[in-house]
Amino acid sequence: MTEVAVRVDHVVKSFRLYHERNQTIKAAIMRGRTSVHEDFLALKDVTFDVPIGSTFGLIGSNGSGKSTLLKCLANIYYPNSGSITHFGKIAAMLEVGSGFHSELSGRENIFLNGSILGMSRKEIVQKFDQIIDFSGVEQFIDQPVKNYSSGMYVRLGFAIAINVNPDILVVDEVLAVGDAAFQERCFQKFRDLKEEGKTVILVSHSMEMVEQMCDHVAWLNRGSLMDVGKAAPTIKAYRKSISTELD
Amino acid sequence: MKYLKEIWASRELLFNLTQREVKGKYKRTILGQLWSLANPLALMLIYTLVFYFILRVQPDPGSPSGLNIFALWLLCGLLPFTFVSTVLNVGLNSLVANANLIQKVYFSRIVLPLSIVGSSAYNWLFEMAVLVIALSIVGGFVLPWIPLLLVAMLLLAVFAAGLALMLAVANVYFRDTQYFMTIFLQIWLYLTPVIYPLTTVQNDSAKVGGLLGTHITIADIYGLNPMEHFVTLFRELLYDERWPDGTEWLICGAWAIAAAVAGLLIFRRNERKLAEIL
Repeated sequence: MTEVAVRVDHVVKSFRLYHERNQTIKAAIMRGRTSVHEDFLALKDVTFDVPIGSTFGLIGSNGSGKSTLLKCLANIYYPNSGSITHFGKIAAMLEVGSGFHSELSGRENIFLNGSILGMSRKEIVQKFDQIIDFSGVEQFIDQPVKNYSSGMYVRLGFAIAINVNPDILVVDEVLAVGDAAFQERCFQKFRDLKEEGKTVILVSHSMEMVEQMCDHVAWLNRGSLMDVGKAAPTIKAYRKSISTELD
Repeated sequence: MKYLKEIWASRELLFNLTQREVKGKYKRTILGQLWSLANPLALMLIYTLVFYFILRVQPDPGSPSGLNIFALWLLCGLLPFTFVSTVLNVGLNSLVANANLIQKVYFSRIVLPLSIVGSSAYNWLFEMAVLVIALSIVGGFVLPWIPLLLVAMLLLAVFAAGLALMLAVANVYFRDTQYFMTIFLQIWLYLTPVIYPLTTVQNDSAKVGGLLGTHITIADIYGLNPMEHFVTLFRELLYDERWPDGTEWLICGAWAIAAAVAGLLIFRRNERKLAEIL
């Protein structure tokens, strides 16, 4: 049995669905309430382990709770009950370039964004050249990022995030960016991480990508865990369920 | 205590975000940092014109400093007040304005309002330095009071930070907070002896005496406003150039600690819910 990088234990997450939301003090005082709501269960008692050193995919149709689970993994949402334990430093890449200031230069933004993602100044200085190399925006590094093309912007954001060097990396559908060469470099980077024994958890709608990259997969459907295990059989089961739904 | 440690661990991020605010604010302006002086100078001109030349407000000359210049007397109270009002106005928006960041990245959320305190404090320091230079030019002997002045500034910054933390959380739940504060801050300015001297209130209060047969006077109620004590503190240090009463220090210190503790507790209790509610 392999060791565990992340343990998801009976996680339940509900959201309030507002039928009427009147978020003003007047409503709070006059009617003694600000909203009428019902609870919606986005994750229903999900339990699984992510083995160390695996590339772990989360699959499922829209609204199946993948992103909610990812946000719970990234400490942005907190489960209503159950727990998520990670063994090692975790970093999440739910969006690239979060917190970039458009008037500041690429160089200044590397330091700003790096520290938001939890790197110390020393680490950023150490990785600075690697980040610039990986992003390929060296020529424009002292220009304000508002002048960057959207591809450059995303590449720089991705280069910073990938260099945080966590033990566990959580990635949302962010790989669909950049040109083919850049994507190839990203894949290579993920393979490197895997060789270093790091764990990657990713969400993707592209089954080709999941098949190509992941060795383990969890399949979610409407907040419930349908299946978890080795990639090939789980993906097969998922595909089968979609085709039967279509029939 | 553990929470304070967590904030300490995010000090680099706090520093970087403060720098983002400071650097980003006056980018692409010709005057740059000088703009931070423009607002207090404009207020100084307006209030001096209206209250000194038209309404004839006459503060006592500084004792023992002997200074008697209305505009400088005004600035000694106005600069601390505008600092607080900037921190509150901008700080209460800091969570809502960074909603996107909060929903995408995990980091200690408290650095967002605190970075506003930091960047406003940076501007304030700049303004106060100019004021100290101006006071020295007209014959004030301010320099020996600078260490105490810095202590007073720190107390006021802690006080403002505590309030900003509470208001930032309140604004996430009720967006009314920001509009309410704009109005409240205008009223607060006139409830504080910034534009008129405190002696005016004390004299009037002495004429009326105890209210409704009690010993409580108007001046006592007026003194519940923490900004009264802070403004008094700054004026005595900068304009009168004398050692402020020990009780004034105690009152200011108590308000600062109370605001900071309440702000931290409220913020910590709500921090985890922010991403969902925003």
